[in-house]
Amino acid sequence: MPNSTQSRESDTDIILDVRKLRTSFRITGEWHAAVRDISFTLRRNETLALVGESGCGKSVTALSVLGLVPLQNGRVEAERIQLGEHNLQGLSEEEMREIRGNRISMIFQEPMTALNPVLPIGHQVAETLLYHRKMNKEEANKTALELLDKVKIPSTSSRFKEYPHQFSGGMRQRVMIAMAIACKPDIILADEPTTALDVTTQSQILALLNELKQDSGMSLIFITHNLGVVASIADRVAVMYAGKIVEITDVNSLFAQPTHPYTEALMLSIPRSDRDIKTLHSISGQVPPIGRMPDGCSFAARCGLEQPICRKLDPTLQPIDVGLTHEVACWVRGDYNLTTIEERANG
Amino acid sequence: MFIFICRRLIISIPTLLAVMSIIFILVRIVPGDPAQTILGDQASASALDAMRERLGLNRPLLEQYFDFMGSALTGDWGESMVTGKPILGEVVNVLPYTLELTFVAVIFGVLTGLPLGIWSALHRNQLIDYLVRLTTLIGLSFPAFVSAILLLIVFAINLGWFPVISSGGRDDVIGWFRDLALPALTLGTIMTAYIARVTRSSMLGVLREDYIRTARAKGVPNNIIIWHHALRNALIPVVTMIGLFLGVLVGNSVLTEIVFNRPGLGKLIVGALGQRDYTMLQGLMVCYAFIIIFINMLTDLTYGLIDPRVKYQ
Amino acid sequence: MTSNTENIPMPKSNRALFLEQMKRTFRSNKLTGVGAAIFLLVVLAAIFAPLLSTHDHIDQNILNRLEGPSDQFLMGTDAYGRDIYSRLLHGARISLIIGGVAIISAMIIGTAIGIIAGYYGGRTDDVIMQFNDILLSFPTLILGLIVVAMLGPSMQNMIIAISLTSIPGFTRIARAPTIVIRERDFIEACRALGYRDWRIMVYHILPNVLSDVMVMASLWLATAIRTEASLSFIGLGVKPPEATWGGMIREGFENILDNPWLSIFPGLAILLVVFSLNLLGDGLRDAIDPKTRED
Repeated sequence: MPNSTQSRESDTDIILDVRKLRTSFRITGEWHAAVRDISFTLRRNETLALVGESGCGKSVTALSVLGLVPLQNGRVEAERIQLGEHNLQGLSEEEMREIRGNRISMIFQEPMTALNPVLPIGHQVAETLLYHRKMNKEEANKTALELLDKVKIPSTSSRFKEYPHQFSGGMRQRVMIAMAIACKPDIILADEPTTALDVTTQSQILALLNELKQDSGMSLIFITHNLGVVASIADRVAVMYAGKIVEITDVNSLFAQPTHPYTEALMLSIPRSDRDIKTLHSISGQVPPIGRMPDGCSFAARCGLEQPICRKLDPTLQPIDVGLTHEVACWVRGDYNLTTIEERANG
Repeated sequence: MFIFICRRLIISIPTLLAVMSIIFILVRIVPGDPAQTILGDQASASALDAMRERLGLNRPLLEQYFDFMGSALTGDWGESMVTGKPILGEVVNVLPYTLELTFVAVIFGVLTGLPLGIWSALHRNQLIDYLVRLTTLIGLSFPAFVSAILLLIVFAINLGWFPVISSGGRDDVIGWFRDLALPALTLGTIMTAYIARVTRSSMLGVLREDYIRTARAKGVPNNIIIWHHALRNALIPVVTMIGLFLGVLVGNSVLTEIVFNRPGLGKLIVGALGQRDYTMLQGLMVCYAFIIIFINMLTDLTYGLIDPRVKYQ
Repeated sequence: MTSNTENIPMPKSNRALFLEQMKRTFRSNKLTGVGAAIFLLVVLAAIFAPLLSTHDHIDQNILNRLEGPSDQFLMGTDAYGRDIYSRLLHGARISLIIGGVAIISAMIIGTAIGIIAGYYGGRTDDVIMQFNDILLSFPTLILGLIVVAMLGPSMQNMIIAISLTSIPGFTRIARAPTIVIRERDFIEACRALGYRDWRIMVYHILPNVLSDVMVMASLWLATAIRTEASLSFIGLGVKPPEATWGGMIREGFENILDNPWLSIFPGLAILLVVFSLNLLGDGLRDAIDPKTRED
């Protein structure tokens, strides 16, 4: 099968190229993969949304890219994690440290616990400047002040010396964003940054992120389980299930033509005011536990459309459109040469 | 900040009063007649009566209570039934010894315990960690008098490096040091054990926190993460625990003072016990109460200094 | 979508989880098992003291006084010619009985108070915890000393004293989970169903509190034994000629220059028991405390 991610208009546009990422954890003595050989690319100034339910491996993907998976019980393997000209896979810890907060930044879900309670937030924002840009204290503080302004925190000069517990949730998240953009990174990994916020604050933060992205030309990987958020912020979407990407396409196609049965079910589950729905839809069954992944497609048991081959072989991503931009991993809905595949499965 | 201190002080006062009231009740619950105990079985009834009068036991309870509270707070803790000397004076005499012992023990404990705890946490589940955990556990299991006796046997009796009986002379530094060394070591090692363990578990907890992950995600150098980001948070529970451990230390100093024959509050208490010196006991209990409450307040204050979240309550 | 009848495993009861956790602790942390084993040995030695003794532990034998360890007297004799080894065994009984009874009663009383304080909250809670914290901050030794001094040295009073010093700890430990559980919905449901308070406390809160309490019990038993030894050393222990470890050290202290073993053997005995209990309790606590767990 042709690897469609390579035949794009301009490859030089690609800022991050992840190929066959597999992250495993040791749980009670045995290694189990939380992320199972996924591949995706990210282009400049693009927002890629990683969608999926809790435990599908989206956060782990981000942590793996940044090398933040704890090594005692975790293992990251990949063919490559290419950031521009560097393969992050082969870098030493020291070299990775220079990438973090500098070329790739990450913002996290819980702003209260993600900020150090005993350090003033001004210092926390200025830190990356101190270590990556080698600024002295004055310069760093001055720049940090500007950054706080940029993320629209009021009365920045007085709030500079204050502590995280003196800020509201939305404000803290803005501080996190200021921290993340300080060194003008190429990519920001946003791990459910709005999940812990109320709806109004949520839309403010999303708007801020969009604005900053337009200003700086950086790319954004946005992790969420909320399709509504995806609709408002994403350029492209990757739907993850049980550690694999099951569908990946641009946001419009995703909503217009959800192809993978899981994506379809997700769409149906959203309560919508423009539809006449009597009952709330839910997907019956459960995600297979990490230690007991079935041999075939991990969604087969809940699917409803499954064929015998679904239980035997795990489907691979396959484009279903001419432009090769919409890919789906499903034997039933994807566009495969099924007879050869079945032969291989049985043979 | 000043307001914070004042508030803490004000809160301590009712606690202090409550404790002193309890002491008052306790002393009067004691079975037996203090007058009889002092004068012995042969004493005549009139002599007993006179003694009771002197001790103020015949007055109404409430009057005794106010008298007690009033005089205790103003510094008049009565006189020892045995020596007749003012109790407060006796206490002040020996307090420096107890204080210096406790102080040195704490410093020793902090200087050795903190690094051990941090080291242990950073090398979790490796050999260093196991060794530290094991030795601190052993250190904790020693009752103070056992370790005191062992130290005495090894270093004073067998090796002769330190005096078996402390000379009590405070004129020259070397003599002072030699007197203080073994007792301070006895108590100090207990502190080391406690502090190392608490530091370790606190550090381990902090290193798992989200904000440490954030710091790593920012590319902050590792040693900065440990010493700047993690330690400041890890120290908070350590400080509060040190306050608790000071209490343990004060208790154990009694044992140490006995073994090494050092003057101090502990020896006063044991002496008072042996001689049934009730007024002395009462006075010493008030003294301990003051000390405990003072330690608590100090701990609270230090906690407020370290943790910015506390100041703004 | 098909409706699935995939097996969703039933959540295990708290007790089953607890036992599982205990089993895993013992397997993973060998030292915990070692501690448990040593302590068990000591308990057995204490139970079978009369059988294991070589001599009567009270029998004085002036001719043989202050002898070193020999074939006849395994650990030597004390100032009155009594066999130290036999006295050590009987001392184990006293220490374990005092410690055990004290801790069990403290556990019962302290847990009860703690649950009451946590359950009712408000003023009751405040008052109880104020007292509790004062008691807690008093050095164990001083508190025990005061109580025994007041009441007079005897086994009974020793138990009372040590129990009193241990109660505040149990109160604290029992109160914390009570407050958490009190907020849970099923407690609301119980109340809505008209359950009496004490029923809720005993049948619903107590089982959840128990695991935390039991774990700390072993650690505090260690402290209790240590306190008893210390108080005996000061002279407030069970009266002679009964053998207590602390008392033996006290007697031995007078002869420390020439006959150090009088103090060393009982000292080691105390150390052994306290250490084994600490090993055990530490391992148990590490298993339960989420901060130090392996995962």
